[in-house]
Amino acid sequence: MSDYKKAPDGLTVARTLDAKGLSCPMPLLRTKKEIEKINSGEILEVLGTDPGSRNDIPGWCERAGHEYLGEKEDSGFIRFYVKKK
Amino acid sequence: MSTISDKVKEVYEGFFKKTWSPMTGGILLAVLAIYMFAWHRPWGIVGGLRNWGDWVLYSLGLLDLDEAPAHPLFYSSSVMDLGLLAGAWISAVIAKEFAIRIPPMLEIWKGLVAGILMGIGSALAFGCNVGGFYSALQNLAANGLTMMVGLIIGVIIGLKYLYWEMEHLTPGPAGPTWLDKKIPAVVGFIALAALIWAAYAYGGSDMEDADLMPGYLLIGAGIGYVFHRSRLCMVNGFREPFMTGEAAMGKAVAVSVIIGTLGIAIMKYMDLRPEGMYVVPAFWWGSLVGGIVFGAAMVVAGGCGSGSLWRVAEGQVKLWVVVIAFALSNSAVRYWFDQNDWLYTNDEYTVGMLGKAIYLPDYLGYGGSILLVIAAMLVWYIVIDWNEDSNKLVIEM
Repeated sequence: MSDYKKAPDGLTVARTLDAKGLSCPMPLLRTKKEIEKINSGEILEVLGTDPGSRNDIPGWCERAGHEYLGEKEDSGFIRFYVKKK
Repeated sequence: MSTISDKVKEVYEGFFKKTWSPMTGGILLAVLAIYMFAWHRPWGIVGGLRNWGDWVLYSLGLLDLDEAPAHPLFYSSSVMDLGLLAGAWISAVIAKEFAIRIPPMLEIWKGLVAGILMGIGSALAFGCNVGGFYSALQNLAANGLTMMVGLIIGVIIGLKYLYWEMEHLTPGPAGPTWLDKKIPAVVGFIALAALIWAAYAYGGSDMEDADLMPGYLLIGAGIGYVFHRSRLCMVNGFREPFMTGEAAMGKAVAVSVIIGTLGIAIMKYMDLRPEGMYVVPAFWWGSLVGGIVFGAAMVVAGGCGSGSLWRVAEGQVKLWVVVIAFALSNSAVRYWFDQNDWLYTNDEYTVGMLGKAIYLPDYLGYGGSILLVIAAMLVWYIVIDWNEDSNKLVIEM
C-alpha cells in the first residue's frame, strides 16, 4: 500500500523525457534509456500520464539503485524526478 | 492519539484511494474467481468480447448465422465483462484516477495491430490469458500449461519488438487529457448504487438465465475493482522478469493460480460443478501457438484480456482501440473456425483441428493434477524470484 512521494521544490533538472500519452511499459522503458544520457548525480524529469508509472518508476529506481525524488502533479500529467546513481 | 474520524479516514483511504499490493490483488482475484465458479461458471473475458464483436459483425451482415447472437445483457461472459468495466471505473473515479487519455498516433496503430493479434491468439487458444491460462489451469485443463509456455515465449518476442521500436520509431506528440480529476468521487458511489440496483433489476426480468446475471455482474465488478485498486497485471507478471527483473506481479499471479486451483478443484471433485468446464480442445498446438501470438501482442498492447479492460475503464484510449480490435478479430476468426469445422471434429467436442481437450485428473488423478499445477507455479515463482536478484533472464536493450 503505497503513498505517493512528493518531490521537493527547486530541483535542477538535467534532462526531461516527455512520455505523455504512452502506456505501460513504454514510460519505464524510455526512462531506462534516457537515464543513460545524463551523468551520475544529475536529475532526469519524466512527464507521464499513465497512472501505472507511479508504481513502476519508484519500483525500478529501487531495483536499479537510482534515487527516486518524488512526483509533482501538473495539469493532466505527472512529473517524476529521478536522480541517477 | 488518533480519533475515530482519523480512523475512518484511514480506512476510507485504504479501501478506496491507496494502491493495494500485487499480492493482495492476486489473492483477492483468486477468491473472486472461486466465487464466480461457485456461482455458476468459471471467470472468463473473451466470450464477452466475442459476443460484442459478433453483434457488430452480425448487424453489418457479415456473419451468416441461423439466429442472432445472444443478448449482451443476458450473456454470462458479456455481463462479467460489463461488471469488470463498471468495477474498475468505480475504483478509478473514487480514487480520482479516471481521465480520458489520448495517446500519440503510433500508440493507436500499435493498439490496432496488437488487438487484432490478440483476437487471433485467443481464438487459437480458446481463450485469452484468463480463459486460456489463468482459469484453464484452475480448471485443471492441460491447455493452460501449454498456453503458459506460449505466453512466456510470446512476451519475449513482444519485448524485443518494443526495444526495436525505441531505437527506430518516435511516438510523436500525445493528444489531450480530458476530465482529469474532474469527476467527483461521489459519482463513483452513485455508480456503485446503480450497479446494485441493476443486479436486483435482473431478478425482475423474464429473459433466459436472468436469475444468474446478478452474480456475473457483481462478482465481475468485484474483479474489476480488485484489478484496478491493485493494478494487478498479468502482462506485467510475465514481462517484468525479462525487462527489469521485478517479480512482484509474477509471484502474485502464481499464488493466485494456486489458490484458485484448490477452490475450483474442490468443487469439481465433489461433483458440485461439471468436470468438463473450461477443458477445451486446444492441447497442445492451439494453446501453444495462440499463447505465443497473444503473449507478443499483449506486450505491445500494454494490457492482456483483463488488463486491457480495466485500463479501458480508467480512460486509456489506446486500450479502447485494443479491445475493439480484439473483439472484432476474435469474432471473425472464431466464425471462420466454426464455418470450416476447426473447433470440434468429434461429437463429444473433445477433439478439433486445434488440439485435444485434456482434463488432467483423467490422467493424473485429482491429487496429481493439483500437484502438477502447484509445481508449475512454484517453478515459475522460484525462477523469477532468483532472477530478481541475479537478473540472469533480463534482456538488455
